[in-house]
Amino acid sequence: MKKKMLALMLAGTMMVALIAGCGSKSDADNDTASETEKGQENQASDSDKPFAGQSITFTDTGAGDWEEYIKPIIAKFEEETGATVTMELYAHTDYLEMLDVKLGAGSSDYDVIGVDVPLVASYASKDFITPVDEYFSDDEKAIFTESALTAGSWDGEFYSPAMNSSSQLLWYNTALLKEAGVEVPESDTENRLTWEQVEGIAKEALAVVDADGNKGISGIAFEQVSRTYQMNMLPNSMGGANIGDDGFTVDGIINSEEWINACTWYQNLYSNGISLKGLTADDTGDIFKAGKIVFMVAGTWTAEALEKEGMSDYDYAPVPAFEGYEDKVGTPTGSWHFGIPKNSENKELAAEFIKYMSIGEGNTLWLETHGDVPSTTTGVENILKSDTAEKYMKIAAYEAANTAVPRALTPGYNEYDSVIESTWDDIKNGADVKESLDGAVKQLESLLSKLK
Amino acid sequence: MIHLSNKRKWIPYLLIIPSFSLICIFKLYPIFTTLVESFIVDSQFTFSVFSELFKDDAFWNSLGVTLKLNVVMIPLQIIISFGMALLVNSAVKVIGVFRTIFYLPVTISLTVACLLWNMMLNPNSGVINSLLGIFNIPMQGFFTDKNQALWCIIIVATWKGVGYWMMFLLAGLKNIDAEIYESAKIDGAGWLKTTFQITLPLIKKVLLFVFIANTTSNLLLFIPMQVITGGGPQGSTNVLMYEAYKSAFKYGDRARSSAIVTILLILIVAACAVQALMLREKEKS
Repeated sequence: MKKKMLALMLAGTMMVALIAGCGSKSDADNDTASETEKGQENQASDSDKPFAGQSITFTDTGAGDWEEYIKPIIAKFEEETGATVTMELYAHTDYLEMLDVKLGAGSSDYDVIGVDVPLVASYASKDFITPVDEYFSDDEKAIFTESALTAGSWDGEFYSPAMNSSSQLLWYNTALLKEAGVEVPESDTENRLTWEQVEGIAKEALAVVDADGNKGISGIAFEQVSRTYQMNMLPNSMGGANIGDDGFTVDGIINSEEWINACTWYQNLYSNGISLKGLTADDTGDIFKAGKIVFMVAGTWTAEALEKEGMSDYDYAPVPAFEGYEDKVGTPTGSWHFGIPKNSENKELAAEFIKYMSIGEGNTLWLETHGDVPSTTTGVENILKSDTAEKYMKIAAYEAANTAVPRALTPGYNEYDSVIESTWDDIKNGADVKESLDGAVKQLESLLSKLK
Repeated sequence: MIHLSNKRKWIPYLLIIPSFSLICIFKLYPIFTTLVESFIVDSQFTFSVFSELFKDDAFWNSLGVTLKLNVVMIPLQIIISFGMALLVNSAVKVIGVFRTIFYLPVTISLTVACLLWNMMLNPNSGVINSLLGIFNIPMQGFFTDKNQALWCIIIVATWKGVGYWMMFLLAGLKNIDAEIYESAKIDGAGWLKTTFQITLPLIKKVLLFVFIANTTSNLLLFIPMQVITGGGPQGSTNVLMYEAYKSAFKYGDRARSSAIVTILLILIVAACAVQALMLREKEKS
């Protein structure tokens, strides 16, 4: 009897919880519905606004981080246009897969999507996104930097306007260098340090601060170690390209002399003990903050991250050049762009929103609050002329406009990225450089041929 | 045995319908769609996916790595878990504590275990290299060394899994009548003879289950490759399951992924059939 009562009570509690859960959802729905009705009433009275009564849905990555920046920007857009923009943000780990599934299924759920720049060609060739040439005049397209415009285009059509760009600098630990009694010479974008110089300084410093290698201090590290975005800057800085102009050719490109020389230099950092093998893209930034790395190549976000940790023993310089290749410096670039899915039901409003967020007031507000590198020539010029912009942002803005090399423009970027990343990893771990690069060519030719 | 009247003979079928439906939806249907996707391209039956796959060096490398991994790992895990089962089967005080300790790794998620071992085997800052340093042994690459990475994965998977298989074998050992051992002792049989001629034959059915389940789970092993090595260094840990994952989720080539999974399925069935044959109960003459 007692057991029966207990079982009934448990079942009853579960039923109540179920109904309560459904009830609160219904309440939320009712609230949303009433808000929508209110919104519609307000919008009816703002019928002089160009997009009054219309609505679009915008999705992007950045969940848990971007909301506080984008919500006020969207509110301003809604006020000016009378439109309603519903925002859905996802964590990066989920976003691209979700997008792939929805766009692959021909969903019309979204009108504006965030596009990871290296996937522009892939989305364009799969007919996931629609060209925006009819919405952007030539003058408007000219507002973007050349690398941003190129990265957002495929097969002669403009698909994906940029939200912002990115760039990298050479960050270094001043406390370790002081302890070693070594100084880093002054440099700027016209007179850069060379990689050979930096290697020498790192070696000198390690000989003092970690002579027997027991402290686990790395002389030179790349924050996103082995990742294509980060590492391809090395062969780019010797004049090497990322892929052929057709978006498919890799033979003679990624196994060229430039690539072999750059990769050999990189491998020697590890075989000579200047760089440590155990660092990963997930922890290199933290290890620099912990004072265990002398030189680190990383993005502009490093400054804020270091300030947050209260680390002040750092300085920075423009990314070095290779000796003899001073005019060929290549820096990583690219970030998030926007796109209009093929099945969007309101492309005009979507394009208007994208203009606002990429070359309009929305973009200015985004850059001011989020601190990213601009992808517009005006944005770059403003930073370069500014008296208040941080020096590292000025360096980054210069690089974005002058030395940035877009990632490989190919419909098979996922395949390219996967093979190149594992190739960088193999080279780091001591594999024969030429064999690794030739192997990468063979693999990519097989994978990319299916996409032609 | 319960005999049900004709009116109630449908009851057992009704009771197994829910679990059987789940098996059909989540096991049999995916197997069927995998086979379809690997043989049907553009609505036509074709072997082209397999012929392309067989021309790919990456596939043959993956197959080789998978076989190498399992030829070592399966017998290793069975032998260790059998040895552990024999040890914890003894009637010693607080033996339950040791059973718990041996079983503890099973309770940790494999992903967490991989992350922990990756930290411990870090070539620069890992505790294992620090310990080796005390004995003047040079720092090892472990997961960053193409000659060591696969063996490190075997160590991690074995450490994680043997406690689980030990419990099944222990259950089998518990079912053996103690009088049989007493008779063997009286007849002068030593430990070795008792184990191989009495214990093993009597737990054959349990051993068969453990072999088959262990083979299946090891052939499908994937998490250490995804979390730690990414199939490297230099493809030395790129097993078929990881190659299938890359094909589906990185390259968007579902047909190739399905073809690899079909081959894995054939491997599993073949391995299990061989084991079942070797461990079958001999017919009484």
